[in-house]
Amino acid sequence: MNNKLAPTYQRMFGKYWVLWYFKSNNYSVIETEFKTLLDFYLHSDTLDEFSAKISSVDDVSDVKTVVNNLDTYLESCNASSAPQLDASQPYKTSKRHIERQYRIKDKLITIFYDTDLVEKTIHPSLAHLETNAQPKKSAITFDLYTDNGQLNLFKNQQLITSVPQRDYNLVQGKFIMQLLTVIHAKEESDWIGTFHGSTVSDGTNSVLFIGKSGKGKSTLCALLAARGFELLADDVSPMLSDNSHIYHNPTAISIKEGAFGTLQPMVPGFDDLPITLFNTTKGSLKHIPTKSPNKDNYPCKAIIMVNYEPNSKTQLESASVKEILETLIPDSWLSNHPKHAEQFLDWLVATPLYQITYSDTERVIETISAVFNGLEDKY
Amino acid sequence: MKKDNHTDKITRKDALKKMGKYAALTAIGTFVILNPQKSQAQSPPDPGGNPFD
Repeated sequence: MNNKLAPTYQRMFGKYWVLWYFKSNNYSVIETEFKTLLDFYLHSDTLDEFSAKISSVDDVSDVKTVVNNLDTYLESCNASSAPQLDASQPYKTSKRHIERQYRIKDKLITIFYDTDLVEKTIHPSLAHLETNAQPKKSAITFDLYTDNGQLNLFKNQQLITSVPQRDYNLVQGKFIMQLLTVIHAKEESDWIGTFHGSTVSDGTNSVLFIGKSGKGKSTLCALLAARGFELLADDVSPMLSDNSHIYHNPTAISIKEGAFGTLQPMVPGFDDLPITLFNTTKGSLKHIPTKSPNKDNYPCKAIIMVNYEPNSKTQLESASVKEILETLIPDSWLSNHPKHAEQFLDWLVATPLYQITYSDTERVIETISAVFNGLEDKY
Repeated sequence: MKKDNHTDKITRKDALKKMGKYAALTAIGTFVILNPQKSQAQSPPDPGGNPFD
């Protein structure tokens, strides 16, 4: 019944199932009992057949209510919000007030900004890659400017995106995707997704750190990078379809003022890093540049949900797929291509999921090192 | 009064028994539905203090 609303892919994770719905690109996490009920429903041709199936395992007096609830569930899973369409925006050379050139993996990239404020959305995270190469012969130019309340991004004078300027984080994300396609010579359609999280490598494998804003994932990754790990990506971790590996995102680690005290003794030259004042409630930011990793991609062998809690004992525990996906999915872009959704689920099934609570920097580095060592044993 | 309370207890117990665990599950909705972002994004701005306001 109602088979047109059935999930396209499904994978079991212990007591949970994760279902993917093609029509909406939604993921749903349900428990085993619910899955049994849903399967009975989807595999029944009539209400009587379904009623007979559930009465064999359970004493249900009101099958119609159950059916209504299942219908509502399936409709919600398939409901998709309309994609935001970019307004058409004419390109304006007159907005080129600030010019910066960057060398990123042997590519020269020029970005034009209209104001200091707009420059702050991108430049601080790329400042370590700025170059004054002459003559200026960038193959790629970007223009970033505001126009009538819209923040516009152009690549070689072609509109990439235009969003209300308050949603500048969407332009930042789109810019990173464009940068990734340039430096890794891929198309946007080659990526499974860009995870909201930071990825660190030991030179063989990588681990994705996720967590809501302010939970200490960037701080933890900066600590690990200061102790010999390679930073593969901060904040936006891209996964490629060809190999399901996470690729290098060259932007610097963005650190909020609250973590300055923790990182100052650990990161060489921390005091000399410029301060960026951008968001008035976030306080000041510093951007820590890190050495490029030896390889530009690594397999991701674990996901760790980070929770910084002052004065807490360092504790690493298993996390459920429900907890991980509730944190990961709403803030990540995931391709709606069925092949990519299946690859994402297959990677997730094979990946150990943890959560870590920490406050002590030495202890947390030891614990994460042990996780990496455990991964190497699996090879 | 006492008798009424007693009757009420039995009725509720019966009702729960009849509901069964599957019906209870759908009634209370033990599922989550998660929508990924439609487009790539960096960390969203914290509430308040948007520099473009």
